[in-house]
Amino acid sequence: MSELARLETSLVGETQHASISGEIDLSNARLLLDTIAATMPDDAAVVVLDLTATTYLDSAGIAGLFRLAERLRIRRQDLRLVVPPDSPIRAVLHLTRLDHVIEVDDSPPDVSASPAPEPA
Amino acid sequence: MSGVRDPATRHTPSLVPQSRPARVATLLLVALAYYASARLGLGLSLVEANVTPLWPPTGVAVAAMLVLGRSIWPSVAVAAFAVNLPISDTLLAAAVTAVGNTAAPYLAVVLLDRVGFRRQLERQRDALAIVFLGALGAMLVSATIGASTLVVDGTIPLADLPTAWTVWWTGDAMGVVIVAPFLLSLPLLWELEPWPLRRWLEAGAFLLAMTALIGWAAQSQLPLLFLALAVVGFAAWQLQLRGAAPVALVASLVATWAAVRDRGPFGGLSLLEQVATLQAFNVCVALASFVFASLVSERRREERELERAAAELEEHVQKRTLQLSTANARLVQEIRERSQAQEQLTVEEARSHREHEIAETLQRSLMPERIAELPGVAIAARYVPATADLQVGGDWYDVIPLPDGLVGLAIGDVAGHGLQAAATMVQVRMALRAYALQDPAPATVMRGVHQLVSQLRVPEMVTLLYLVHDPSTGSLRFTNAGHPPALVVHDGEATYLTDGLAPPLGVTSEALFSEATHELAAGATLLLYTDGLVERRGASIAKGLALLADEAVQSVATSPALDLEGLCDELLEAMLDEHQVADDVALVALRPILSADGSLSLRLPAEARVLVQVRGAVRRWLREAGVADVDAADILVACGEACANVVQHAYSGEPAAGPLEVEAHLAQGTLELTVRDRGRWRAPADRGGGWGLQLMRGLMDDVGVEHTDAGTSVHLRREVAIGVRP
Repeated sequence: MSELARLETSLVGETQHASISGEIDLSNARLLLDTIAATMPDDAAVVVLDLTATTYLDSAGIAGLFRLAERLRIRRQDLRLVVPPDSPIRAVLHLTRLDHVIEVDDSPPDVSASPAPEPA
Repeated sequence: MSGVRDPATRHTPSLVPQSRPARVATLLLVALAYYASARLGLGLSLVEANVTPLWPPTGVAVAAMLVLGRSIWPSVAVAAFAVNLPISDTLLAAAVTAVGNTAAPYLAVVLLDRVGFRRQLERQRDALAIVFLGALGAMLVSATIGASTLVVDGTIPLADLPTAWTVWWTGDAMGVVIVAPFLLSLPLLWELEPWPLRRWLEAGAFLLAMTALIGWAAQSQLPLLFLALAVVGFAAWQLQLRGAAPVALVASLVATWAAVRDRGPFGGLSLLEQVATLQAFNVCVALASFVFASLVSERRREERELERAAAELEEHVQKRTLQLSTANARLVQEIRERSQAQEQLTVEEARSHREHEIAETLQRSLMPERIAELPGVAIAARYVPATADLQVGGDWYDVIPLPDGLVGLAIGDVAGHGLQAAATMVQVRMALRAYALQDPAPATVMRGVHQLVSQLRVPEMVTLLYLVHDPSTGSLRFTNAGHPPALVVHDGEATYLTDGLAPPLGVTSEALFSEATHELAAGATLLLYTDGLVERRGASIAKGLALLADEAVQSVATSPALDLEGLCDELLEAMLDEHQVADDVALVALRPILSADGSLSLRLPAEARVLVQVRGAVRRWLREAGVADVDAADILVACGEACANVVQHAYSGEPAAGPLEVEAHLAQGTLELTVRDRGRWRAPADRGGGWGLQLMRGLMDDVGVEHTDAGTSVHLRREVAIGVRP
C-alpha cells in the first residue's frame, strides 16, 4: 500500500474495523481514505477507524476524514474514530474541529462484548 | 589406337617373308616376274631389241624392293642378267647392263626410304617422290650405264647415244611410274579397308571403260588418246590408287603397244615424235592416276581427321559443358546456401543487437536517475560501463529512502552479462526495495532476496551488500552476501567492514544471514563499490583493496568536505585506466551531514514523497536539540503544513517541482523555523478548507507569511521547553 502507513481491516458483526498505523500526510491521505471508502461492505452499520497507531496526521488527512465521513453518511453508515487522549494527532483533531463532526473514542470498542460499550 | 597399326602410317615394308622357304619362293617369284615383265617390255622396243619406251621390269623391281625389302636385289640382278644375256653381244655387256638395271631400282628405293616414302601413295609428297626421285632421278643410272654399254660394245653408233639414252631413261622411268603404282596398289586391296561389292563393280566398270576407250583410240586416226585422262582421273577421284592404277596401266600398255606398232595416232610419226607423244601421254596418265589419287586420298584423310577432330571436339565440348553445368549447379547451390547462412547470421545479429539494447535499457533503468536527496546525509554514485566488453554488465546500486528517516543502501553484482543478467538485476532490485520497505532489518531483507534468487528459473549467482543507515544516530546495520566489503574512511584511516559476511545469493539453498553493525562517526565517509574497481589483470584482489584504501584516504583528505561527487570522480580516475575499463564499475559514497552550528538546513525537491523525510530530519534535529516531544509533535505538524503547502501550490503549473527549503534555529528556548519556496503564493482560501494555515496558527506562537517575486517564506515561531529528554 504505502511505505508510510499500513491499513488493516476486519469485519465483526455489523461493525467494520479499520486501523491505520504510521503517518498520514499529503502523499498518502487520499489513497488511504479512498481505499477505506471503497472497501466498506454495504451491510456494515458502523465503521470504526482506529487511529491509535497513527503518529502523524496533517490537514490533507483531516480533509480525507471529513470526506470519508460524508460518503459514509450518504450510505447511512456511521464513522467513529479511535484516538487516545495522549496521541500526537489529538491536537490536530481539536484545531480543525473534526471531533465536533465525527465521533471520537479514546479506545477501541470491546469486540468481545456484543453491544458497543458506552464511550468513557 | 593400340593393337592394330593404321596402314596409312606404315613406313617399313610389311610383307618381308620371315621363313626361309617363303624367302626363297619370294626370290624366285620376283625373279620370274621381272623376267616375264622384261619379255613383255622387249616386245615393245623401239630401238633395236634393247631399248623400249616402256620398261616394266624397273617398276617390278622398285615395287618389289619397296614392298618386300631391298634384300631381294639378287633376284633382280639375276633376272636382269638373264634378260640381257640373249640380246647383248657379249657376256660382259649383259652383266654391266644387269648391274645398271639392278642399281637403278635399288638407288630409287634408297632415295625413297630417305624421304620417308609411304607405299600407300596417299600423300602428295609420296606421289612427287616416286615421280622425281624413284623414276626420273634414279633411272639416270640405268639409262647411262645401259646406253653407254650399247655404244661401247658397238651395238649402236655413238651418234645414236642421245636418242638411245633418252629412250632408255624414259622407258625405265615410265616403267616405274606406270607399273610400280599398279603393283603397290595390289597389297592395298587387303591392307586397306576392304571394298564392298559396289566398289568392285565400280572398279570393273572403270577398267572396262578404259579398255574400250583406249582400244578404240589407239586404233583411231583421231588423236583422242587424251580422253583416257578423264577416265583415269574419274577412277582416281572415286577409288583412289586401288581403282586408278590398273586403269592407268591398261591405258599406258595399250598406248605403248599402239606406238610401237605405228597404230592410230602414232602412225606416220618419227621415232622422236612417237617417244615424245607416248611418254607425254604416259606421264599424264600416271600423274592423273596416282598423283590425283594421292591428292584425293590426302584430302579424304584430312577430311576424316577433321571430322574426327570435330567429333572429339564435340565430345570435349559436351563433356566440358556437362562439367561446367555441374560446376555451375554446385556454385548456384553454394551461393544459395551461403546467402541462407548470411540471412541466418543477419537475423542472429539483429536478435543479439536487440537483446543488447534491451539489456542496456534495463541496466540504465536500474541506476537511479538521480540520487534521492535525503536529510542528514550526502550521497553520490557513479556507474562506469566496461569499455572492452560491449556486453552489459550485472553491476547495480540503489539508494532507498526508508520510513523514520532511515537510508537503505544496496550494491550488487549479478554473475554473467546480457539480457538474462539484466533481467535478474531488475527482479533483485525490485524485491530488495519491497522487502526493505516492509522491514528494513538487513538480515530479513537479505533472506527475502535470497529466496527470490533461489526460485529464479535460471538461478544466477548474485553478490549483494545491503546497509541501513540511521542518520540520527550514525548507526550502520548491514549484511553482506559475498560482495567486496564496504570501506569507511575517517580521520585518515581506512577500515573495511568485513563482518556480516555470507555466501553469495543463489549459491546455497539454505542461507544464514547475520547482521553486523558499525557506528559511522561524524565526518566519516562510507564507500560501496563493485569488484571492477579493485580487480585488475595480473594483480591480486588484496592488492586492489589495499590500493583503494590508500587512494580513498588520500582523496578524502584533499577533497572539500561536502563534495562527494568530486570524491567519486577522483577515486575512479585513480583506480581505473580510463581507456581500458575491463569490467563495469559501480561506486556509491555516503557521508553524514554535520549540523555544526546547531541549526538545521534542508533543501529538497518540492514533492509529496519528501515530506516524510523532512519530518524525519526535523524530528531528529528537535530530539538532538532537546526539545520536548509534546512540543516537537506540534512543530512537526506546523512545519509539515507549510511544506505541504509548498508541495501543492508553489510550483503548480510548472513542469518540474522547484526547491523546498527548511531552515530551523533554536536560541534561548525559542524555535524559529522558516519554510521557503521559489514559486508563487496563493491565498489560503484557494486551498482545501484552509486548514493548513489554521493549523499552523493554532500550533505555533507566531506565523508570518512573506511573499516576494522571488518566492514565498513562511516563518514559524514557538517557545519550547528544552532539555527534557525522556
